[in-house]
Amino acid sequence: MRRLVLGVLAALGLALGQGDKLKACFIYVGPVGDAGWTYAHDVGRKKAEAALPWLETRYVESVPEAQVVPVIDRFVREGCRVIFATSFGYMDGVLEAAKKYPDVIFAHATGIKRAPNVATYMADFYQVYYLNGLAAGALTKTGKVGYVAAFPIPEVKRHINAFALGVRAVRPDAQVLVRWINAWYDPAKAREATEALLAQGADVFAFTEDTPTVIQTAARKGAYSFGHYTPMLKFAPDHVVSGQIVHWEVIYIDFLKKVKEGVYTPKNLENVDYFWLLQHGAVEMGTDYGVPINPKHVPLLKAAQMSVEGKKVPVYDRIMSLLGAMKRPNPTFDPFTGPIKDRKGVVRIPAGRKATLNELLTMEWAAPGVVGDWPGEPR
Amino acid sequence: MEEALLRAVLFGTPILLAGLGALLAERSGVVNLGVEGMMALAALTAFAAAQAYGPLPGVLAAFGVGALSGLFLGLFTVTLRANQFVAGLAVAALGLGASGLLGKRYEGLPLAHPLPEGGFALLGAVLALLVHLFLTRTRTGLFLRSAGENPKAVDLFGVSVDGVRYLALGLGGGLIGLAGAYLSLAYRPSWTDGMTAGLGWVAIALVILAAWHPLRALLGAYFFGLLFFLQFRLQGSVPIPSEAFAAMPYLLVILVLALSGRSRAPKALGQPFERGR
Repeated sequence: MRRLVLGVLAALGLALGQGDKLKACFIYVGPVGDAGWTYAHDVGRKKAEAALPWLETRYVESVPEAQVVPVIDRFVREGCRVIFATSFGYMDGVLEAAKKYPDVIFAHATGIKRAPNVATYMADFYQVYYLNGLAAGALTKTGKVGYVAAFPIPEVKRHINAFALGVRAVRPDAQVLVRWINAWYDPAKAREATEALLAQGADVFAFTEDTPTVIQTAARKGAYSFGHYTPMLKFAPDHVVSGQIVHWEVIYIDFLKKVKEGVYTPKNLENVDYFWLLQHGAVEMGTDYGVPINPKHVPLLKAAQMSVEGKKVPVYDRIMSLLGAMKRPNPTFDPFTGPIKDRKGVVRIPAGRKATLNELLTMEWAAPGVVGDWPGEPR
Repeated sequence: MEEALLRAVLFGTPILLAGLGALLAERSGVVNLGVEGMMALAALTAFAAAQAYGPLPGVLAAFGVGALSGLFLGLFTVTLRANQFVAGLAVAALGLGASGLLGKRYEGLPLAHPLPEGGFALLGAVLALLVHLFLTRTRTGLFLRSAGENPKAVDLFGVSVDGVRYLALGLGGGLIGLAGAYLSLAYRPSWTDGMTAGLGWVAIALVILAAWHPLRALLGAYFFGLLFFLQFRLQGSVPIPSEAFAAMPYLLVILVLALSGRSRAPKALGQPFERGR
């Protein structure tokens, strides 16, 4: 009975929805203006709305994980037909609400559980981190590269490992010093972690957390850095070499078009999982939109040499050729191609194949050259 | 080593400035739990004013907004005699919320001319000394301390307890405002919602840790800065999980509090003053 009532309410909500416009609603975990994760999703939402004239969007920001179901209730009442939940922690709430509203389409970012009306999606940076690692390996003088990391979870470990593999491909003796701040957003911790790494001799920096703090701090000491999530060139125009930039709109537009065309229905999403990379245009290597490498640093990277299959190649050329190779519809290169051993010498990806999606999503080992505490490291 | 001491001072400075502000209020008998929100609002004000008029006007504006928000808290705690804890928490929440809302257009912008951290550090140390001298060597300071210990005596002298407490909240608010300015103009020259990240609460803890003494607050703040830095400097080089390191500063604060035992809060702390009661 309850289901029926809710179903009727949902149908009513649909009927009351604006004409034939598709209404897609977004649930954000942080404030829109945080320049990191939520900001990037909101940029994606706006771009999708601009690109699709039949689309109408709504959003609610700073939704705590326990509050996701009431927000979904509200969205459904307001006639949302597609709901994007943009935080891992929304998983249980989304699955619960999906049962309650079987006619609504849900998409859960970074999620790992699906249902007939719940798809999952992710734009992943590991390939870009590898390319930035190559640049970092070329730029470090001390052989120590700093990495300020949020939480020791597989996603962040995958990024650090890809970055470290890149660093070592150019400079086999280099170290990637990792410091965990155990927060996505804590500028003071990011600042002091960077200071600690500077004090230990790190002279090039990458990071996975939600502020430009590492860039600002490194630049004061003249150290190079790589932006994360959004273009961060403006925070240190002379020191941001490149970075990882996300394009959530690519996923949002593709997904919503398929909903509009009837390809995706609330009954067939069980196997719809976007794990989109360079080849899909969901991520970009760049110090700014459309600028892969800061022009100020191109000469340095052209002068630096690395050895590829016994031949000397300028690092810049290698980065550009691999970037091209990974942008192809069928990429001819992947950073996690075996044989790859972890820092303890255990073979993690055997020779002759690349890491499977599952291996990428559950990565706990540390790549050679990674130095520092590594919670959850396999024995 | 030098690096660690430098970080101790540079990260200790915002805690010190905010702590001195909270200390002034508490010595006059008013608990200020609004520090976090006042600091956030001042940080935003500093950033916005610095964008428009330059860094020094930014600092002054932050002092002004801090002082005003201190007086605002006084309206509830002094004049209306509301519960100081509830009023303080409300100001903290209000300041954080208002700064987040008003600050949207400043999110993610770099600051063209950041101020040197060293200047603020010097200012912080000098202010600690000045607050100490003010409290111990001046007549106004004496009345301020008395308002926190024995407000009736102040009243008998014909001095307004409420006036003294407003003065303490206003001046203290100004110092808290300087802490905010340090964050958005020097320490991390930009504005982001929630950038105070709990430092205001640390400042309140500092007041207790320092046993309501400005010079001890100076040492305490630097000590906290040192611990904060060391959690990252030592991470990975000693076999202790990073989470334990993150908790270390707080654990040590509790330890110091437990060992110092004798520290005593101002007698009239938290009590609204009403003549004839």
